Amino acid sequence: MQSDDTPIPETPNPAPGRKVLCIEDEHFISELYARSLTKGGYEVTVIPDGAKALIEAQTDKYDIILLDLMVPNVTGIEILRALRDTTQTPQLKAKIIITTNLDQRDDVREDIENNADAYLVKAELTPHELVNFVNTVQ
Amino acid sequence: MDNLQELTRSIRNRLIIFVTAENLLIIFGWFVVEHYDLPGYVTLLIAMAPALIASPFIVRGMTKSVMAPITALWQAVLHLSPTQHGIAAPKIDSLKVGRELVANLVAQIYQLADVAAHTQATTAAEATDLHHNFIASNLPLPFFVLNESEIIQFANQAAANYIGMQADELIGKNVYMALDMSFPSEDTFDSWLKSVKVSNATASSSWERVRLNVRDNHPTRLFDLAAYYNKDNTSHMETLLVLFDHTKQYSQDDQAVSFVALSVHELRTPLTLLRGYIEVFEEELEGKITPELDDFMQKMSAQTEQLTAFVNNILNVARVEEDQLQLKLQTEDWGTVLKAALDGINLRAKVRGIEIQTTIAPGLPAVGIDRLSIHEVVNNLIDNAIKYSGESKVIKVDAHMNKEGMVETSVQDFGLGISPSIMPNLFTKFYRDHRNRAQIGGTGLGLFLSKTIVTAHGGNITVASKEGQGSTFSFTVMPYTQLTEELKQSENKEIIRGAHGWIKNHSLYRR
Repeated sequence: MQSDDTPIPETPNPAPGRKVLCIEDEHFISELYARSLTKGGYEVTVIPDGAKALIEAQTDKYDIILLDLMVPNVTGIEILRALRDTTQTPQLKAKIIITTNLDQRDDVREDIENNADAYLVKAELTPHELVNFVNTVQ
Repeated sequence: MDNLQELTRSIRNRLIIFVTAENLLIIFGWFVVEHYDLPGYVTLLIAMAPALIASPFIVRGMTKSVMAPITALWQAVLHLSPTQHGIAAPKIDSLKVGRELVANLVAQIYQLADVAAHTQATTAAEATDLHHNFIASNLPLPFFVLNESEIIQFANQAAANYIGMQADELIGKNVYMALDMSFPSEDTFDSWLKSVKVSNATASSSWERVRLNVRDNHPTRLFDLAAYYNKDNTSHMETLLVLFDHTKQYSQDDQAVSFVALSVHELRTPLTLLRGYIEVFEEELEGKITPELDDFMQKMSAQTEQLTAFVNNILNVARVEEDQLQLKLQTEDWGTVLKAALDGINLRAKVRGIEIQTTIAPGLPAVGIDRLSIHEVVNNLIDNAIKYSGESKVIKVDAHMNKEGMVETSVQDFGLGISPSIMPNLFTKFYRDHRNRAQIGGTGLGLFLSKTIVTAHGGNITVASKEGQGSTFSFTVMPYTQLTEELKQSENKEIIRGAHGWIKNHSLYRR
């Protein structure tokens, strides 16, 4: 079952200037997400390459990381692991939101869910709904 | 048989020899005494004397040589009997008569008891032990013996290794506690056992692709299962289970099946984009386009939602088949869940001019459900009602308590209805009303999936329909308190927590 179960309340005043790192290799999707997030008051950086994205994420500049699981060079799961491993990433303030269309076996997914702050299926929500969701993540 | 006949003959011959010898003694005595002129009774007494004196010795000899083979035979039979008699294996060397014959016969008795293969051992008793030990320790297949209460009476070393427990830990455990098995269909071991206990003296069956969830992060095992049932077995060995491991092969198959997951991923990416672009258009063009274009926009949006739902159906059916669909039963307010699910599908009804009228009875208890899978059920039933509504423009949804104390929700349309002839197959995968196939799209996955999900929740799904008047699909879910009560009774919290229910534990949820 897909996890679109988190309610999406409309938040009137999302924190402006919060930084989002969008790790997504499908250009059309990142374009849509960046558009909506920027409109919602976020500063968005898009990186389609997994290896580069990991290095960028480890700079700890971001409040939110949107992480696709199927990205080139270093996979989303590897990125997640590296970001949660304190020997590799001593400090990380960002909340990690998995955004994927990939269907995981439940055991794998449980593992991901335990390490990420949220797990979203991209096909289940529109960009606007994504922004509403990100607004709720503090 | 020849041996037995020969033995009978030899015993008869021995008896003839003994009786003849006794008679000859009397006759010899008579001849000796006759020469003396004595009164008749004295002659008779003296003539009989040697025979009388010899009698005890003759009887003793008879017993020893005539009865001993028979004794050896009954000892052998009793020694092998399943009831304990405390009889040791017969000793053959002391036999005087037909020694070889008796030895053969005893060997044949042991052979009949399937022990003789090991009679190289010094005595037959040792052979019996060897035989049992041989099976117990060397059978390379996990092997379990259950008594009439489904308690494990015996488990071999391979079984213990297979499920990662000690053999003595297994003995005395309920089989469902020890083996957390899940089956690819509703034809499960426990349902089979339940039915054969009622109607069969002996039965056997087998299952493919059984999944075993092993505790403590052991990898899941996949195997074929064979079971043999023998009612009222005197040694409490009622059910035998043998497991044939195929973990490697089946998990490779499963990897191949994830083709579905990959296809779903490929389908979802364009869907994500379509939904995204439609939303951008809706936002940017709001109030700037004609009502007709606005209507088209809504229909486009509804169609992408429907396609998203269908992709989820495909995925979930694939998961059911791979036994991968899991439920996480949690306490939820039914009214809230139902309204959220209906909100999600409202646009699809709206663009077809259909109104969903919802009645939720007040004071419904909290229910134990997996919200996401129940969403799928509601989606599928409403989608179905929309499809088969025909000219009718109303769908009624009604949630209430039923007589059995379950929370029941019915979805009623006033459209085409279902012919009675196809009712029995309605919940079968890929089954659709053939007459309507040309006019109405769909795959026949929705009802199959809905039934699977509702059943796994411990609920029921039913349909009532009249052709030309519409159909009512009703499903039930359990109040959370009742669910926990059943889990308590099953004393099986551990398994539930680990497995979240599904077909594997369906018997624990069923009433």
